[in-house]
Amino acid sequence: MMEILSIIGYIFLSVGAVFLLLGGLGIFRMPDYYTRVQAGTKASTLGAMSTIIGVAFLQPDWAVKLLVILVFIAFTNPLSSHVLARATYKMGQKPLSKENIDAYEEVDHSTSRKPVTNKTTK
Amino acid sequence: MIWTLILLSLMAVIMIVATIVAIRQKDLLIAVFATAAISLGLSVFYFLLQAPDVALTEAAIGVALTTVIFLITIRNTKRYEKVNKAGQCKE
Amino acid sequence: MKKYVAVVLLLFFGYYLLLSFLQLDFGRADERMAVSKDYLHESVATNKVANVITSIVVNFRGFDTLGEVTVLFLASTALASILYRRNKPGVKVPKERILTSASHLLHIGAKVLFPISIVLGAYIFIHGHLTPGGGFQGGAVIATGVLLMILSYRKFHVNHNIVSWVESIAGIAFVAIGFTGLIFGTSFLENVFPVGTLNALMSGGAIPLIYIAVGFKVGAELIGLLDNILLNNKELKQ
Repeated sequence: MMEILSIIGYIFLSVGAVFLLLGGLGIFRMPDYYTRVQAGTKASTLGAMSTIIGVAFLQPDWAVKLLVILVFIAFTNPLSSHVLARATYKMGQKPLSKENIDAYEEVDHSTSRKPVTNKTTK
Repeated sequence: MIWTLILLSLMAVIMIVATIVAIRQKDLLIAVFATAAISLGLSVFYFLLQAPDVALTEAAIGVALTTVIFLITIRNTKRYEKVNKAGQCKE
Repeated sequence: MKKYVAVVLLLFFGYYLLLSFLQLDFGRADERMAVSKDYLHESVATNKVANVITSIVVNFRGFDTLGEVTVLFLASTALASILYRRNKPGVKVPKERILTSASHLLHIGAKVLFPISIVLGAYIFIHGHLTPGGGFQGGAVIATGVLLMILSYRKFHVNHNIVSWVESIAGIAFVAIGFTGLIFGTSFLENVFPVGTLNALMSGGAIPLIYIAVGFKVGAELIGLLDNILLNNKELKQ
């Protein structure tokens, strides 16, 4: 029984390590600030959560505490990256896209940045 | 034991690099975040050396509070250090 | 001539410094450090405190902790006195901060995270004698929770009167516990309260009480400091 649990735990740990590595690679390779943020957030959130689940399988005594940490990570990690991306948008950084689409501008009218002229759809 | 030693030396290298960045950087915002990185490494260091009390203090004060106070100071003053041609600070 | 005299003098002092350094024993346990054994034994046997560090910080070295808290109080007061602005009769101080308004998501997130961080800080300083942590750590965690609220809401203000009252009462409680030791025992900060059983929440006598007082004091000081710094200081810039 314990061996099966530990094997499942190691599988989760390896998945977590792979996703953390992919997140780091994404931050390194992505062309734009916003794509970097989403790579870092999604991959590292999944990697950290998977690692914690793996630890919970390896050490069943800590399961409740690890669950609390899991909820905390699931709550704070997307929130912090949302705040970072929004602050960058407010500073005037344009998203890198070929068609110059900026969907957030229609939602958020309080930005201080200049309106983006939509060249390609003309 | 050997893994702890490897992790400690890795943290030490990161902290030394962050310290050099914090001293040399003319953009004060980056220097502040390098200082926060030093605090984070120091916190891990304390935890690995079995002093979780000090690690808690360092994580709460060094990473969060000090960084925010520095950021507010930069916001109220100016972001870049002024440099003359010889590479020395003017003020 | 002067150089040779200086070299001879340096060699002379260097020799004696070297002698004193050679007497230090590196890498060996010193027999004279018996006091550490005493602390390790006494804090579990007499004080019934599971976390030995707390026992040393609050009980055996309690006077030093009082000094630390006083230093923090003085630093906070000095900063407040620098940043304090007297309200001019004509000028109305704006109630909003200079920070830009945060998004709806951050408002809700901060509302959920604020009680969690307060509870975590309270847990850390109430369990200071059982688990790692204590008054300083718990106070700092509470201050970070308040910092999150201050950064998220433009109109979130801390009542300075309440903060200064909490701070004063906590400081008075610390000194009062110390004087209890002086009155009922033999020395300042002596542990005269009944110690319970080891590893229970109600154990350690005065130690958890002192750490709770320290937690309130540090938290109130850091919150007051943050609120002072983050106030709308457009006038200061001019």
